[in-house]
Amino acid sequence: MPRLVIDDLQIEVPEGTKVIEAAERLGIMIPRFCYHKALGSAGACRMCAVKFIHGPFKGLQMSCMIDAQDGMVVSTTDEEAVAFRRQVIEWLMMNHPHDCPVCDEGGQCLLQDETVSGGHGLRRYPGRKRTYHDQYLGEFIAHEMNRCIHCYRCSRFYQDFAGYRDLGPMQIANRVYFGRFRDGPLESPFAGNLVDICPTGVYTDRSSRYKARRWDLQRVPFLCIHCSLGCSTVASARYREVVRIEARFNESVNGHFICDRGRFAYPYANLADRPRRARVDGEDASLAEAVRAASGRLDQISMNAGPDAVALVASDRCSLETLAVLKRISREKGWRHPAVFPRPDLEHKTRRAVSRLDRRLAVSMRELESADFILAVGIDPVHEAPMLALALRQAFREDAGIVVMDPRPVSAPFDFDHVAIAPAEIGGCLSRITEALSALQADSAAQGKETRRPEAAGPLRADLDSRIAGIVERLRGSRNPVIVCGTDIVRDSTPDRAADLARLLLQLKARPCLFFVLPGPNSFGAVLLAESPGRSFSDVVQDIEQGKVKALLVVESDPFKNFPDRERLERALDRLDLLAAMDYLPTSVVGRAHIVLPTCTVFECGGSFINQEGRVQRVEPVHEGGIPVHQVSGGGHPPRVFSHEVPGGEIEAAWRTALEVAGYTNARDNLSILKIMAEEHPGFARCRDIPTSRSFRVLPDAGDRPPVCEETGDRAAPEAADTLEVVLVDRFFGTEELSGYSPVIQNADSEPLVFLHVRDAEPLGIAHSDWISIALEGGGLEVRAGVSAQMAEGVLVIPRHRLLEWQKLGPVPAQIPFGRISRAGKE
Amino acid sequence: MGAEASKSKPDIGHQVLVCRGTGCESQKANLIYSNLQDEVRKHGLTGLVEVKFTGCHGLCQMGPTVVIMPAGTFYCNVQPEDVSEIVEADLMNGGHVERLLFVDPKSKEKVFDYRDMKFFNPQRRIVLRNCGFVNPEDIDDYISVGGYEGIRKALRMSQVDVINEVKKSGLRGRGGGGFPTGMKWEFCHRSPGDQKYLICNADEGDPGAFMDRAVLEGDPHSVLEGMMIAGYAIGATKAYIYCRAEYPMAYERSLIAIEQATDRGYLGKNIFDSGFDFEIKLKLGAGAFVCGEETALMASIEGKRGMPNPRPPFPAVKGLFGKPTNINNVETFANIPVVMTKGGDWFASVGTERSKGTKVFALAGKINYSGLVEIPMGTPLKEIIEEIGGGIPNKRKFKAAQTGGPSGGCIPASHFETPMDYENLTQIGSIMGSGGLIVTDETTCMVDMARFFLTFTQKESCGKCVPCRLGTKKMLEILQDICAGRANMRDFNQLMELAEDIKGGSLCGLGQTAPNPVLSTIRYFRDEYEAHIINRECPARVCVDLIKFEVNEENCKMCGACFKACPAEAVTWVKKQPAVIDKDKCIKCRSCILACKYHAID
Ligand SMILES: Cc1cc2nc3c(=O)[nH]c(=O)nc-3n(C[C@H](O)[C@H](O)[C@H](O)COP(=O)(O)O)c2cc1C
Ligand code: SF4
Ligand code: SF4
Ligand code: FES
Repeated sequence: MPRLVIDDLQIEVPEGTKVIEAAERLGIMIPRFCYHKALGSAGACRMCAVKFIHGPFKGLQMSCMIDAQDGMVVSTTDEEAVAFRRQVIEWLMMNHPHDCPVCDEGGQCLLQDETVSGGHGLRRYPGRKRTYHDQYLGEFIAHEMNRCIHCYRCSRFYQDFAGYRDLGPMQIANRVYFGRFRDGPLESPFAGNLVDICPTGVYTDRSSRYKARRWDLQRVPFLCIHCSLGCSTVASARYREVVRIEARFNESVNGHFICDRGRFAYPYANLADRPRRARVDGEDASLAEAVRAASGRLDQISMNAGPDAVALVASDRCSLETLAVLKRISREKGWRHPAVFPRPDLEHKTRRAVSRLDRRLAVSMRELESADFILAVGIDPVHEAPMLALALRQAFREDAGIVVMDPRPVSAPFDFDHVAIAPAEIGGCLSRITEALSALQADSAAQGKETRRPEAAGPLRADLDSRIAGIVERLRGSRNPVIVCGTDIVRDSTPDRAADLARLLLQLKARPCLFFVLPGPNSFGAVLLAESPGRSFSDVVQDIEQGKVKALLVVESDPFKNFPDRERLERALDRLDLLAAMDYLPTSVVGRAHIVLPTCTVFECGGSFINQEGRVQRVEPVHEGGIPVHQVSGGGHPPRVFSHEVPGGEIEAAWRTALEVAGYTNARDNLSILKIMAEEHPGFARCRDIPTSRSFRVLPDAGDRPPVCEETGDRAAPEAADTLEVVLVDRFFGTEELSGYSPVIQNADSEPLVFLHVRDAEPLGIAHSDWISIALEGGGLEVRAGVSAQMAEGVLVIPRHRLLEWQKLGPVPAQIPFGRISRAGKE
Repeated sequence: MGAEASKSKPDIGHQVLVCRGTGCESQKANLIYSNLQDEVRKHGLTGLVEVKFTGCHGLCQMGPTVVIMPAGTFYCNVQPEDVSEIVEADLMNGGHVERLLFVDPKSKEKVFDYRDMKFFNPQRRIVLRNCGFVNPEDIDDYISVGGYEGIRKALRMSQVDVINEVKKSGLRGRGGGGFPTGMKWEFCHRSPGDQKYLICNADEGDPGAFMDRAVLEGDPHSVLEGMMIAGYAIGATKAYIYCRAEYPMAYERSLIAIEQATDRGYLGKNIFDSGFDFEIKLKLGAGAFVCGEETALMASIEGKRGMPNPRPPFPAVKGLFGKPTNINNVETFANIPVVMTKGGDWFASVGTERSKGTKVFALAGKINYSGLVEIPMGTPLKEIIEEIGGGIPNKRKFKAAQTGGPSGGCIPASHFETPMDYENLTQIGSIMGSGGLIVTDETTCMVDMARFFLTFTQKESCGKCVPCRLGTKKMLEILQDICAGRANMRDFNQLMELAEDIKGGSLCGLGQTAPNPVLSTIRYFRDEYEAHIINRECPARVCVDLIKFEVNEENCKMCGACFKACPAEAVTWVKKQPAVIDKDKCIKCRSCILACKYHAID
């Protein structure tokens, strides 16, 4: 470990640490533009020049380029260095427009900071500034190239780090331009990070343009709840409105970046049509009145029809607090335990995944980056867990091999081998890999037995053999392999198969190697709190139809979004004596509920969530809630309505309202909720002890043993050759619930495509981007087809897209006969 | 000379060498070549006379050229129509086409054998040994002059012995840096790696330089052979030639050479049965100056934007595709076969104490014979200009010579006798560079010249680092102001400060050397800068904004040259009277100034 002296302070740093980094550890922030921890050094801006006084380097050198070495003595305040840095700033300011007053970066601009700190205050350059034309880069990011200082951070992030090619430097010398070949939306789903990393205001967040200076914002370390990864963010609010999400560095989860879904989904919290007033039977009411009404009616029904006639429905966007309270009240009231998952298989797979994950197996996203071989099964990373794709790319950049086993036309910003097979085949492949690997490991007879259980997998294609053999070889040859497994499209037993393989790898390599992707931000928490086996919403519907359930309390959940048969759901809900909805979204259920109890978004009440690796993360509210000022004042400013109450300010966190509905009036404070959580799951006891900025994992030391009985539950592979298996999938945009309400994302979203393999499309005369119609008993669907050769044959991939009424298909069958798919006349 | 007498009807062994380098080819050398073939056939000389096309002889200014061997008759400015005359008079009748012969500028005598020409005589050709004599598109021609002997010999030696031989030769890189080639090979040889690469740098971006182009056009096999030897020595099995797209002919001929060598089995697996595999690929560059810088060049080969990366790590450790890589210049490689066949000691016997061998220069500017010359290291500048280059035209005086192009500096008249080698040039504030040699006389404004080079570097900056991208811009603007008479001494001081910051603070050699032409002209011609700034005067009468366009009656010899030269009829002149310029009509084209031999226009 080299030891060096910087500004008379001694420090010892790990081998390979740059001097700029070593200084930072001492609290000395050497000015920089191009250097960025995630992107490394480029040597472009020359802003980090310091004076090397002793040691292997001498004189003025760039501190970001030089590894700390023994015996170095460095001065950051040396006159020559300071003068040079001042010169650099002066050069940069030659071209920089003085538009700080109207620039969104103003107040959080590195260039501004370093111009001031560098002491450049007088303009000596009388010449013309270089100017550019700006481009339209899509709905998210505004482009203002004149402000560019050419640090190359954007292109290094966009191309090198994230792996997309449509934005980069063009031309040379003083004319270098950062942009696209021509105007158009940026292709990368990580493009929003440009806003964070650009040290000036070239890329600014269009969604928050001209809304606030950073110093006016209420900024809080926050958490993204738009997929199961739980990336860290900073949320900012002003005038009771969330205005901006930025990425926050998190050592173990997302690193420095987040995806565009996470960044631009927030406007759902500001919607003008958000439920802000409680309602009882169509009439506005105060929250207290509505709570009283709900409480009374639920008790009534409990009394008349038995408590089992009251069912609770929640979702995986509910916080841990809400889920714990719902569990508590349902138990104490004898009501039905909340159904969190829309489908039984999703509940099952999530539960299996969670129960198989343990401390030795679970890999964090950061650890995943150092894997040298990754087998990802049943997952389309960009669409289901976007930041996973970025993590995989980092592994790829370090030469990791990646195999994706998935029926979809997966595309990702890294090279990978795509084993395009139907969902039913994935589990079988995993078993075969496990078997082959353990057979090769002849001396470990004990686990050999365990993994050589009878297989229920369907017949495997012969051409898979060599690919499986290849995967086995690569697993064997790797130091640090990781199995990534999705839970959406795979068969029920696949998570167990993945876990089996991971356990074997753990024995062979002695390193954690299992990474699950779960359906939603709090799926993990939901199954931890669920009764076992839990119920899904489809069971509830059945019971309504049979008259067993008379009252439904729907908490932050929209069954209409996920239930595959819309008409049946409507009929069922109509049968209810009471439909009570608690939500902050203007969902269809809120629209039809007898009693509406608005709740706060996580921005207004904070909450805890558990991500897919069992990490409990808790955040505080960003602002106190209430209707955004500009909505109250009709866009006028400043507001002219004065009152003692905050308009819309009576709304509370779902868990508080739920407790009141259940009659617990004295457990509404924060300490009580922590107590309830700890009582509902012992793992949550630690929530009391740790600050919100820190996270911890609720994982057992060793996971469940795999239950053998559940193996038979798998749906077999399609037998008939004249059908296509329906695979409903999630997409980056358009399928996730919260972001679907964000106007910015709606504007950016593209038309949904239903994918099928060329060889399946050809006989039907369907070409890429043709309109097709899918006719089923429940109704028909007209949609554009995506035809691809990079996917499995025999499947029809349908996105659960907001703009695609896939629910119209009625009870979606496992198989669609070819005869039901045809080219539509529409052009 | 007496060649006339011995000439008779051609015997077997007569060769007619037609230069088809880029210069001559652009003046219909291809037609000359095909006409020659036709005429030779028509005259029944097939079999007796071999018509062969070659690369450049060097005297491009007199092209297209045709040389008759073995007599050495050198025909200049040949037109396709002249061919039948050459065949008739020379080949058939053993005479000469006198009007096409070279005329010595001093003695005004016709020269019959090119070996007697002042242009060629003092030269010592190692790199260009075959240029102008072998057919670059015929591997057998190269073999017939001893080609591929060097690699055969090398393959019989150990890798370390090959490196030692190169070290012994004292050969230094000809790409500009002058780093000892043997040592460079040794680093790469010692650097651990499963795969190593070799790169030949044929990017040649210096404005006005065309040494590397001439070698690849005239003798590509010698470069291939040099690369093979290097590849063997360092253990690289894959090599690239990075050639700029502006050199289509060099590219084409290198391609042919690679194909021919591959067909022979000289390239590919197990070459010369030695067990050594070696392949060469050609990579076309888009012509950015910075792509000649080694790290940018490698980025470009990898398909990335051609921008330099900081060193260390040096290419020998982490180069192309992250593997140990050795990169040398075309001219460096062309020396290698000779080092192998004649030995390092022989090579070291040419040149000076620490600069061995020869250097090829592209001679240009205010000089009678511009072209390509190869001289032993240590040849005085004076000899190059006065002997080889035939002096300065129009009886004007030598002012300075610029070496090293935009990265270099100038050599003033006070150093006219300086022996040209690495040390001397560095000492006087210039550099050897890659071989550009631009001669100036008193009609050249040194501020303007500095501005010219800075304009080039400023435009060619890759745009990565701030000092080079923006600092040169600022410097250039000050220079423009000086030339336009808008600058003051404060600006001048800032110019020098900027120059130091850019030198010290830039990432790569381009920026680090960009201020050199300015610093070096300030060093030797500070008075000219001051004349521009303080007196608002351009002593060389180049900077248009500072010229009065008035006839100085004292100097005027009343010759009327200006009157004849003016395209705008702005000059009135009556015999035996000083000329007068009508400023309203004057378009400031400087024709009068260029025409006046007496420096009489202010
Ligand atoms: C801006 C710049 C341009 C360069 N251009 C060339 C070039 O055109 N040809 C060349 O051989 N070397 C060029 N070089 C030098 C190369 O980086 C490298 O040092 C050289 O190719 C090494 O070969 P050598 O050791 O045989 O000289 C350039 C360097 C810089 C900084
Ligand atoms: S746009 Fe921003 S990030 Fe990109 S080079 Fe310019 S200043 Fe740097
Ligand atoms: S010195 Fe010039 S050419 Fe070299 S990296 Fe910097 S900007 Fe690019
Ligand atoms: S931070 Fe070191 S050069 Fe930019």
